[in-house]
Amino acid sequence: MERSAEEPLAANPLLASKLYAPRWRAASVLRPRLTQRLDRGTESKLTLVSAPPGFGKTTVLAEWLAARAAEQQPVAWLSLDSSDNNPATFWTYVVSAMQAVQPNIGRAALAMLQAPQPPATETILGILLNEAAALSSPLVLILDDYHVIEIVAIHDGLAFLLDHLPDQLRLVIASRADPPVPLARLRARGELTEIRAADLRFSPAEAAAFLNGAMGLSLSADDVAALESRTEGWIAALQLAALSMQGRADVAGFISAFTGNDRYIVDYLVEEVLQRQPAQVRSFLLRTSILERLHAPLCDAVTAEGGSRAILETLERGNLFLVPLDDRRQWYRYHHLFADVLRSRLGEEQPGQLSTLHGRASSWFAAEGQSASAIRHAIAANDLARAAGLVESEAQMAMRHHRPDRLIEWVKAIPDELVRAMPVLSTYYGHALQGMGDMEGSKARLDDAARWLKADADQQGMIVVDDDAFASLPSRVALGRAYLCMAAGDVAGTVQHSRRALELLAEDEHHWRGAASALLGLALWFDGDLESAQALRGQGGASFEQAGDINLATISAYHDGDLLKARGRLSEARTRYERGLRLALQHGERAAQGAANLYIGMADLCCELNDLDGAARNLGHAEELGIIPPRTPYRYLLARARLLQGHGDLAGAFELLEEAERIYVRGAVPDTRPIGALKVRAQLMQGRLDEALAWVRASGLSFDDELSYPPEYQHLTLARVLIARFRRDGDTRSLAEADALLTRLRDAAETGGRGAAGIEIRMLQAFVARCAGDLAGANQQISEALTLAEPEGFARIFLDEGLPMRDLLRQAVSAGIGGDYARRLLASFAGPGEGPPTAASPVTGLAEALTARELEILRLVAGGMQNQAIADHLVISLFTVKRHIANAYGKLGVGHRTAAIVRAQELGLL
Amino acid sequence: MTATAGQARCCSDSQQYEIRLQGHLDSRWAERLEGMAFAFDGDGTTTLTGPLADQAALHGLLTRIRDLGLPIISIRRIDSDVQRPTDNSGQ
Repeated sequence: MERSAEEPLAANPLLASKLYAPRWRAASVLRPRLTQRLDRGTESKLTLVSAPPGFGKTTVLAEWLAARAAEQQPVAWLSLDSSDNNPATFWTYVVSAMQAVQPNIGRAALAMLQAPQPPATETILGILLNEAAALSSPLVLILDDYHVIEIVAIHDGLAFLLDHLPDQLRLVIASRADPPVPLARLRARGELTEIRAADLRFSPAEAAAFLNGAMGLSLSADDVAALESRTEGWIAALQLAALSMQGRADVAGFISAFTGNDRYIVDYLVEEVLQRQPAQVRSFLLRTSILERLHAPLCDAVTAEGGSRAILETLERGNLFLVPLDDRRQWYRYHHLFADVLRSRLGEEQPGQLSTLHGRASSWFAAEGQSASAIRHAIAANDLARAAGLVESEAQMAMRHHRPDRLIEWVKAIPDELVRAMPVLSTYYGHALQGMGDMEGSKARLDDAARWLKADADQQGMIVVDDDAFASLPSRVALGRAYLCMAAGDVAGTVQHSRRALELLAEDEHHWRGAASALLGLALWFDGDLESAQALRGQGGASFEQAGDINLATISAYHDGDLLKARGRLSEARTRYERGLRLALQHGERAAQGAANLYIGMADLCCELNDLDGAARNLGHAEELGIIPPRTPYRYLLARARLLQGHGDLAGAFELLEEAERIYVRGAVPDTRPIGALKVRAQLMQGRLDEALAWVRASGLSFDDELSYPPEYQHLTLARVLIARFRRDGDTRSLAEADALLTRLRDAAETGGRGAAGIEIRMLQAFVARCAGDLAGANQQISEALTLAEPEGFARIFLDEGLPMRDLLRQAVSAGIGGDYARRLLASFAGPGEGPPTAASPVTGLAEALTARELEILRLVAGGMQNQAIADHLVISLFTVKRHIANAYGKLGVGHRTAAIVRAQELGLL
Repeated sequence: MTATAGQARCCSDSQQYEIRLQGHLDSRWAERLEGMAFAFDGDGTTTLTGPLADQAALHGLLTRIRDLGLPIISIRRIDSDVQRPTDNSGQ
């Protein structure tokens, strides 16, 4: 599914609270022992703070952070939560956190993470790590609550990060459990610093400092010891105990009761604390415990009372486990343990209230447009109808921001019968399933939706929440079906459904029109109708531009270039690339990946025009922008190979082709020049005919195959192999097959508007005629080829053919064909050191020249003289004649009299 | 369930588990903890007993226990056809 990259994740309103580092309170107990260990920890790659909740992990990190900030050594902070279990989201937040401290880092990485086709995580991290290594001062990144991360892909990325962490980047992870990264290895290498529960517990001295100092109690040493023993230094417990004792007359009684039982400490103490609160506060605490984040107006809504702001301020002042999430005291959350106990109390005391409370929260969030929270609370309220409605309203946006996983997660909570009664939800769910590769599931959901849309459908029981979305639904269903057809390789079906989608889409639905046009254009491309494909793809690109989908527009421009080159429209291709580059470069890093591809396309174009310097320049521009996987690297190598061929380095070019083949990644569009066929052509240029023949056998291609578009390039390659075979072996059947194949290919190319192929076919037909001795026919074909090629400036299509083409051109020129254009091409066939680079083709030049005697005998053979007659004529033995002939054939690379004659003629020897 | 004792079971079968925790946890928490049965032992520990659908359910439960900060003393899978010694920590 096309994705819109234009809504940067980093603009998420939640981001600010995730990057907000906790403020350390001056009243807290100082723990220099731990902050010193954290200081020392920056010498290791990773500092792990691993302990159950309530051990003061965040507090000690906050203290450390404050100390470092005071010394102008800022630290990056990221609070993780369970909705970060998506690799692109996770790493985007990581980079955003780093940027809060180092604004210039990670721009390229962020752009890649948000691109329509992001490269592999390791590639992105590699780039980020390189930038980190170049930092002038070390950057420390703290990941808080890492235990919420469950996705293995993220753990793997983290392990990769740790493996390659430069000295300038240090990681601190706070978690309730040891993260699944290779800790043992880090430990063994001395690259891990750990702070664990045993380290975090309050020592008796710290407990005393806390209770009597920070909390203002006046406990005896025995009291402190008793509490410390009961709680085992568990800080949260000591805090709760302190809260229970503040202002209490009978402290001794409390201590003895507390230490005299085995009850789960937190349970017991929270009960104590709650009991001591005024009724209104107690009620507030219980009812707002259902919220993950607290905000005064939200609390008012949930409690259905006012006064929340005042209560929140009181709670914060009283150190009652309220953690601020920003500097302006707008948002808070409860400490996890505290909230857990409150929730369980609420569940026990007022079970019937839960649904109501969650429902109120859901309404508030929905009114604020915070759909994810609204949905979560609706599900918790078990108000599934409401939840389903909210999911439906949010579905389109989730798809546009490329989070099909979120949509699928939400839909999981909704009963199937309900989903099936909701056509809008079913449709977007169907699209989301495609995003996850579940085509069958997608089809089922689209079918569900379509049933409601049928003209005669009985819409009894149908549920629609988003009426606007419902109105546009038929087009979405059609587009969904089109994608399914494409995935199944059903070109006709794709054309049918995407055409229908375009009919149904409104003029201003730019993003969707773009997607439908691009898909239809793609189908037509596979069908081989390049002109229509071009028109549709062009519309698609224009729509994407209007929708602001720069990345998609740039990709469109790249493929447009390919199409135009295939149609033989080189100057239009150049214009298209230039226009695409202007647009991409306006948008800086965000479109850099696409721009690199456009430069590569230009380089390939320059090669065709024999502007080899221009090609090199464009490849240089691409390198500056960065050659990033998945597809740009092999495209780059192919362009480089073409450039080398232009300079005559066939061996070097072949090596690059092999490397390109190794790193090739398939895309959605047809491959107009498959690497396998490119290699074969290169082999032919090097005279490696046997390898080329092996390819033909292995590929199962045959001259009488039914012709279709995508294999056109391979069939043209087959024709070349057949011609080469005739040249070497004199095998007339091969020549006849080539002739027949080319005739059929020519018609097909004509029909499909494939201009470049048309030129190549005529050129090959000229060779066939030449090989058959039909000079007039050869002239006719080459004349047509030149006529078609001249307006666009085609050059290397001819030059790459080497000396056989030179021979043809000479013939043509002397017959008055081709004009200046032909003469210029001829001039380009200069030898080494004699002017502009040519295709120096070892196969058509001779590695070893014929001796005078061999040449003499060859001429006599060409004249039709038999071997015995030659022996008589030259007064040498028959044996010698045969020997000379064998040597000559060997040097010419042929095995047959006829082939030898043709070859010698091509070489201008006869 | 007619498998004989000692025969390997697929890890996704429902099994009885017994988990011992440090401290007395009020049975009010039962709903949060997969509806396990609570028993308080004289040594200041709580024993949770009950069926869990599969390994995933077990790990989910252990995570919830972790998040309460309750130290786990032991986890035992109870084979249904092994005789348990009777005591007053009943099911």
